[in-house]
Amino acid sequence: MIRKGFLLASLGLTLLSCDKNDDESYIDIDLSERMYAGGETTIFSATSIAFRTPAPNLSAADLQMHLMGDTQFEAVFVTAPALVNSGLGSIFNNSSCISCHPNDGRPNFPANLNSRSGLLMRASIFGQDEHGGPNPIPGFGVQIQNQAVFGFLPEARYQAAFIEKTETLADGTVIVLQKPVISLVDPYTNLPGGLMLSPRIATPVFGLGLLEAITEQDILANQDINDANGDGISGKANYVWDPYLRQTVLGRFGWKANTGTLLVQCTAAYVEDMGITNYVFPNETGHNQSNGQDGRDDDPEIPQAIVDQVVLYCKTLAVPGARNINSKSVKEGARLFESLECSKCHIPKQVTGPSSISALAYQTIYPYSDMLLHDMGDDLADDRPDFLATGREWKTRPLWGIGLTGLVNGHTTFLHDGRAKNLTEAILWHGGEAQKAKEKFKQLSAAKRNALLDFLNSL
Amino acid sequence: MKKRIFSLSLLAMSSVMLVNCSNNDDSSGTDPNAGLYSEVLTDLSKDVITKTYEDLNNKAIALKTAVNALTIGNETALTAVKEAWKATRSPWEQSEGFLYGPVDTGGIDPAMDTWPVDVNAMNDILNSGNPITTATIEANVEARGFHLIEYLVWGINGNKAASALTARELEYLRAAAADLQNNTQLLYDGWKESGGNFARHFINAGNTGNQGYASQKAALEEIINGLITIADEVSTGKIQTPLDEGVSQEESRFSNNSKKDFADNMRSIKNIYLGDFNGGTNSGLTDIVAPKNSTLDANIKAKIDGAIAAIEAIPGTFTDAVTNNVPAVENARDKVAELQVLIQSQLKPFIANN
Repeated sequence: MIRKGFLLASLGLTLLSCDKNDDESYIDIDLSERMYAGGETTIFSATSIAFRTPAPNLSAADLQMHLMGDTQFEAVFVTAPALVNSGLGSIFNNSSCISCHPNDGRPNFPANLNSRSGLLMRASIFGQDEHGGPNPIPGFGVQIQNQAVFGFLPEARYQAAFIEKTETLADGTVIVLQKPVISLVDPYTNLPGGLMLSPRIATPVFGLGLLEAITEQDILANQDINDANGDGISGKANYVWDPYLRQTVLGRFGWKANTGTLLVQCTAAYVEDMGITNYVFPNETGHNQSNGQDGRDDDPEIPQAIVDQVVLYCKTLAVPGARNINSKSVKEGARLFESLECSKCHIPKQVTGPSSISALAYQTIYPYSDMLLHDMGDDLADDRPDFLATGREWKTRPLWGIGLTGLVNGHTTFLHDGRAKNLTEAILWHGGEAQKAKEKFKQLSAAKRNALLDFLNSL
Repeated sequence: MKKRIFSLSLLAMSSVMLVNCSNNDDSSGTDPNAGLYSEVLTDLSKDVITKTYEDLNNKAIALKTAVNALTIGNETALTAVKEAWKATRSPWEQSEGFLYGPVDTGGIDPAMDTWPVDVNAMNDILNSGNPITTATIEANVEARGFHLIEYLVWGINGNKAASALTARELEYLRAAAADLQNNTQLLYDGWKESGGNFARHFINAGNTGNQGYASQKAALEEIINGLITIADEVSTGKIQTPLDEGVSQEESRFSNNSKKDFADNMRSIKNIYLGDFNGGTNSGLTDIVAPKNSTLDANIKAKIDGAIAAIEAIPGTFTDAVTNNVPAVENARDKVAELQVLIQSQLKPFIANN
């Protein structure tokens, strides 16, 4: 129990007596190792550059390629033919990598859904494609491009309605949550019935190479598909078709772990999000649609060298280090994170295996994710299966750097559709396998809730 | 213009040092420099940054007025528009040493300084029969901003005559100037006290919750990172990329304003370092450095002025010099790079360990 008076007094005293306390329930957790959240790729800068800095341990050659990739990540594409950055669209969601991943971080929920933003809609119809993935909508594919270059029609526009949900905490605090329900309007051609839609907000880019370098064996070690240990938490790996390797691989990236490698993540984003063809996806996303062909024989629109620079860039951004690790409140929050069983899915520690990028190999890291799928309940469900992920399952999001979102991106909206306006709301949207943890959170006193938030904000 | 982010891992190293000496979160309020930092952070955010945006917004209003007065064949009015564009461009370039806050989180930089110009989109819009309004521009966001206006006013070869303007171009220009000013207004409103008051994050650094800076030192680090970022952008991006890839990569090539752009970027560093803007004299980083290390202070001032002088010493236009006066261009690049290294390797650790 943290008492106000004690907290005030401790402000001045911690320097002298940081290991002394008279609180029986308080357990002194040593978080010093976790400070290096990205192992040797960690940087310490609680400023707006926290997500967009090259890992400090890159080799000279990798750093040089990273910097070239940095420039390309910010390149704005324009209508073909053009001298510079040619090939936008014809249909697309946005015109540069950075515009969906501002400061290499998280975009806000858009004020205008049909302006350029970091939110897009995945879509499919009942059934599966030949590789077990989502079944594309004839004439639309698996992603709805709501932008088009001049003279072309976007596939559709987005429209949101909001439903409210009220949560009441044990201490009487009432929190009104809002969930966007996004639908399609003004389709360029008839949309079939029975659509499955799933909104997706872009995610931060740092630390991804480390997540790619966690061994499959380590990820599978935490799988408990049938909940054999009876703790109410399963954990399931997604296995997805890799269009480049032409084989099924472990899914690691995307909100449903529906992509296996950063190469496919980046090249799919080029073609689906911006309409930029490349060596993995040489055809425009809408090449068999009336609005999808730009009529130019310019594919691939970017050379392999640029793709490879951008992929390396996405692998080699530094991870921001944890802060305030000696704060009593942060330590108390870290203890609560364990006792509420948040840490059963948001597993703090992982290690990386070998990597072609030496800076990423054999690192001890603290992403706070098991990289597995979990049933998150009805409220978060998108009811749109994606390979082995059901309509209720999502991949555990990494939490590293989460406390810097406000500073880096100027907002604190979270979750796959940006519905949570802060961390408390994000916690309260948890359900399914996380229902128990959420209920325990709701029982906490305000002081303990604040301690948990202080811990999350220290990451 | 694409923003190249700083390169040297030195930056990260000095951040480690900062953490090592200040990672105790309970140390706030005990720093003997707190009063001085408060003064510097207040002056920089209110009297340099917010004032720069105020000036930018006023100049954008004047540009809008000039564009609205432009008619086909009126050379005097076209010259006035060109001067108004350059006058608006100057505070914008002088703001690029602080590309954090609303300019960044509000997506205002890419909306104003859109680069490259989507010439096809622009021509398609011009050739369509549709009315051209700010709404048209917001739906075609690669065809807007400073460089689109520059293209329409100066022409692709920089020598457009007023008689070559068309009615559709005038319609586009009016919408583009209004759109630009909408964005400068957002920017100024985002910082000013009666608006979004982003300045409060600096004035109250250490006490602004999770969206603010955890300490005054962190706020100062943000300010210094901003200086490093623009110095790196000018040396390795704005100057080096045209050297490597040709003048299609030059930032303000239609107006031949690139040298002025780069020099104003250096003035942005100077304004922040000195705490001065438009003749005002306030506290800047120099007030932290000079009393304790006058050598470093003098060195930084000399390198800033040296970088400005080297940029201005490039003969003729930048477009021409990239081909015909490469040593002068490389000298300017190197002088800017020297300034960057000095800020990164000496100023940043000095402030972190002060």
